[in-house]
Amino acid sequence: MTRTGMRLAWTLAWIMAAWSADSAHAQIAPQPACLNAAAPRTAIFFVNGVTTTLDEARLNAGKLELEFLNRLPTMSPAVQANCHVFSLNYNPTAGEVNDFLEATQQQLGITPTSFWLELEGLGLFTPSLIRDALQGPMTDLNRIDTATIERHAATYREQIASPSCRRVLVVPHSQGNLYTNAAYDLVFGQPPSPPVGALRIVGIATPAQTIQGNGLYRTSTTDVLINAIRLIRPATLLSNTNWGVSPLLLSRSYSGGHSFIGYLSADPSRAQILSDIESSLTALAAVNPC
Amino acid sequence: MTCGNASAGGCREGTMIVLLIGMVWLAVGLTSCGGGTSDNPPPAAQETVAGIDANGDGVRDDIEAYIDTIYPPPAQGDINRALRQFAHAAQATMIDASEPAPSVTHAAERFRALECVMARRPGDFHLIFVELRARVLNTPARSVAYLRADDHVRSGNLALLPADQWVGACL
Repeated sequence: MTRTGMRLAWTLAWIMAAWSADSAHAQIAPQPACLNAAAPRTAIFFVNGVTTTLDEARLNAGKLELEFLNRLPTMSPAVQANCHVFSLNYNPTAGEVNDFLEATQQQLGITPTSFWLELEGLGLFTPSLIRDALQGPMTDLNRIDTATIERHAATYREQIASPSCRRVLVVPHSQGNLYTNAAYDLVFGQPPSPPVGALRIVGIATPAQTIQGNGLYRTSTTDVLINAIRLIRPATLLSNTNWGVSPLLLSRSYSGGHSFIGYLSADPSRAQILSDIESSLTALAAVNPC
Repeated sequence: MTCGNASAGGCREGTMIVLLIGMVWLAVGLTSCGGGTSDNPPPAAQETVAGIDANGDGVRDDIEAYIDTIYPPPAQGDINRALRQFAHAAQATMIDASEPAPSVTHAAERFRALECVMARRPGDFHLIFVELRARVLNTPARSVAYLRADDHVRSGNLALLPADQWVGACL
């Protein structure tokens, strides 16, 4: 196939993906419960993964909020009675992204522009690049940053404790699952321990072997990065969702099947993640945080 | 392939998708064998981190041209201005990348710009962002500067505006 042909194909895929991802968000209204100062508050945190820059993390949290707001009118009354406050617990990954950038330039000889276009794409999730740049951060618990875990745990404890008295739901993506599991252990491993169940997790594209607190998770069968991690660490949680026949998988920006935006744009993964979030929030609503 | 809790139909669908991905991967590989992409490297004068900003509005000329071509005003004035807002913040980010305090300030400016972009194009903001950022960070020096600036924000978290206030983030 000629380069022009490839570009046309990618453009077509791009347009199809954009069309597919489009949804009716013409007017973003405030959550009804947030208009009531006395309504209970629930904090929803997004925690990013290793290939995610700060800007990407902001957009991922925004996508989570948009999809949640779309689904909220059909969620249970217990969930609708809460005001949900979205936040970002950033997992700094600039060093790892830089390593990945250098590795792609050395191994594939691509331009920076192509790197940024394909950061979550199949073209970069090659076995050698995963081995050289991503395997360590995604699997080695000794390489996750203690200061970041402590900061995340402190944030959750502060949200749960008085005067905030908020329930906390954490939605981590990719390597963010490792940080969230470790932060969960820290929250409940030090006195005073918050009420059991005041912190729940819904993991996305997880390289972990468990979700703390009996949390829920979704990993796609088409997630090339997690599938590669599972070859190295067979105890990695099994795939339990997919992106259907989504044009996103033909887009150079999403073809690796690992993008958080992709998980929340394609079905059934999107619907299943939102169902997991709803059931977790329903369980949280039954807990008195303080 | 393991499908966990997925239905048998989902497994078959997943298998088909994996095959499809294999074909795409092959296509990508063939493209790479052609010597990489056809992205033209910028002329030497543009290879500084700051590049050329002839009108001094804080946005590189090549980025302005891209935004105006893909999102021409006035028909797409809202998204055009939102992307200029991001490009302006990204340019400041790269120029001040060695300074911790300005890096945090510029990260907050980028967040406001991205919230504006999400308000203007909630259905496809991510692809729009990916395409623009790839052009903003079109040299190794610019990419490294952008990542170095991110590193200064590791100690704390930046506030997010709730979705119903994103329009208010537009300048």
